[in-house]
Amino acid sequence: MSSNHYIQAFVHIKNETVSLHGNTLLAAPKTDFSTFSKTAYKELGTKYPKFFKMDRLSKLAFLAADVLLKNDKDPQENTAIVLSNRASSLDTDMKHQNTIADAANYYPSPAVFVYTLPNICIGEISIKHKLFSENSFFIFDRFNANYLFDYAESLLKTKKASKVLCGWVEVDAGNYEAFLYLVSDTGAIKHTIKEITRLYKL
Amino acid sequence: MSKGVAITGMGIISAIGNNVAENYDALIQEKKGISRISKIDTIHKDAIMVGEIDTTNEQFFKQLNLPEDNNYGRSALLGVAAAKEAVAHANIKDIVKYSTGLISATSVGGMDMTEQYYYKYLEDESLQKYIEGHHAGDSTQKIAQELGIEKSLVTTISTACSSAANAILMGARLIKSGKLDRVVVGGTDCLSKFTINGFKTLMILSDTYNTPFDENRKGLNLGEAAAYLVLESDAVVKAENKKVLAYVKGYGNANDAFHQTASSENGDGATLAMEKALKVAGMEPRDIDYVNAHGTATGNNDLSEGRALIRVFGEDLPEFSSTKAYTGHTLAAAGAIEAVYSVLALQHNIIFPNLNFNSQMKEFHITPQTQLKQKELHTVLSNSLGFGGNCSTLIFSKEA
Repeated sequence: MSSNHYIQAFVHIKNETVSLHGNTLLAAPKTDFSTFSKTAYKELGTKYPKFFKMDRLSKLAFLAADVLLKNDKDPQENTAIVLSNRASSLDTDMKHQNTIADAANYYPSPAVFVYTLPNICIGEISIKHKLFSENSFFIFDRFNANYLFDYAESLLKTKKASKVLCGWVEVDAGNYEAFLYLVSDTGAIKHTIKEITRLYKL
Repeated sequence: MSKGVAITGMGIISAIGNNVAENYDALIQEKKGISRISKIDTIHKDAIMVGEIDTTNEQFFKQLNLPEDNNYGRSALLGVAAAKEAVAHANIKDIVKYSTGLISATSVGGMDMTEQYYYKYLEDESLQKYIEGHHAGDSTQKIAQELGIEKSLVTTISTACSSAANAILMGARLIKSGKLDRVVVGGTDCLSKFTINGFKTLMILSDTYNTPFDENRKGLNLGEAAAYLVLESDAVVKAENKKVLAYVKGYGNANDAFHQTASSENGDGATLAMEKALKVAGMEPRDIDYVNAHGTATGNNDLSEGRALIRVFGEDLPEFSSTKAYTGHTLAAAGAIEAVYSVLALQHNIIFPNLNFNSQMKEFHITPQTQLKQKELHTVLSNSLGFGGNCSTLIFSKEA
């Protein structure tokens, strides 16, 4: 499938670093995700108190999306969201499981339970940025540029969306990694599988 | 590419009847199916009312000719009963003559058996068969097998209370795009402790009869039900000289972008869904003759949906009513139950009353239709609004 679309912007969050278009926005000292996400929230000027009730996957996806969307000079209401990862919401599933594993100390929390699906992070992004658009979350063995490319192209070509926020958000066993990119009609980088793969590896 | 999406058969089982005819009779005689719960032993039994189906699981085994050692949960039983009625009603003799799919919605799936036997699975081998029946897709597969289409396109949709509406929407799109000639669409959900306790925790279960769009509404009654419709392409209708009951004319699904469970106060998602459905149907709000509202009788839904109706229809709002007072809220099946009722409304030119309404809501001036009413109907719009802001609207019409 050929494309007339561009990767307008992209962001990475990993190893206590947030970078936009490969340029470091924030580099924090080595720490755990909870501490780092608080630092990032503050340093990136994210004013959104609901952030603190989110699970780790939502926090990661939210921070990455927020960097992209608030720097977008031409925000489109009809921006679709297509995210993916390997571990689904296992990080939170296990947290929930721990609250019900012990019959003597059985206390499931609705506040945790609502995050036991991976696509809830898409909901959090949609709520903040008022996106009433198409969205989907896929589970893959590894980063799958081909699939994301086809899906975004199909959404744009059938006019289901005017931009597509795509990428990978993974939180698993203390590790975290986000790579999000925004596909639109304008930009310097062609929307191709090769470019998506290259940017992911930056 | 097929233009029309014809409805040629319907089947339903709910708290107000075991088939389409019984449901219609109850609707026009204003007989509700809401009672105290009898089939589930719950500590909430004195605090809630439900829409329960009388038939026991054992009676269903006989009725559906199932072997004694089956692993059916109740959602699958209700689903098979209703889907078989729909296929028979559509007068289908050879189901594989045309490419026929099944899109079935459920939110409970096999949870009723899981919650009964979960702690016994490790010790009692004879119960382990229900583990396979737990997931939502199992009920769909059972229905497909009973209909003889298990090798076709068979899939399950679970998007909370808009599930069955989305199954109908997806089926209609598959017919329109020519991917299928015929598709059985609908949904099934039985009562379970899982849903009773979940909704109880959200504090939205009424301790008495639910009262949609009433100022003093206290919440919803859960109900169990299943309903399926047979959708066919123009080509099949023509080749088989089929009697068409109605058409799926428009559909829309939108995201509310507000909250994980609650609907936005102003009904943003519902407004978008209705607008999209009207656009697909090529209609204006004034072309709609009756609105079968989602109207669950929760504080949040009826306010949000009412505001959305006002936003979409303004002065052109036709009669609207919720039939949840009859059946209870049947969750993933609701969109299909109300699709059947919408088609019945079209066929009989009748608007079903919004039972139990007493006091006008003070936030707005719109009032549901509370009396059975004869009216020449050409189009009915039906809403199904789900948790998480998954909002869907279907438009049914008499003419293609």
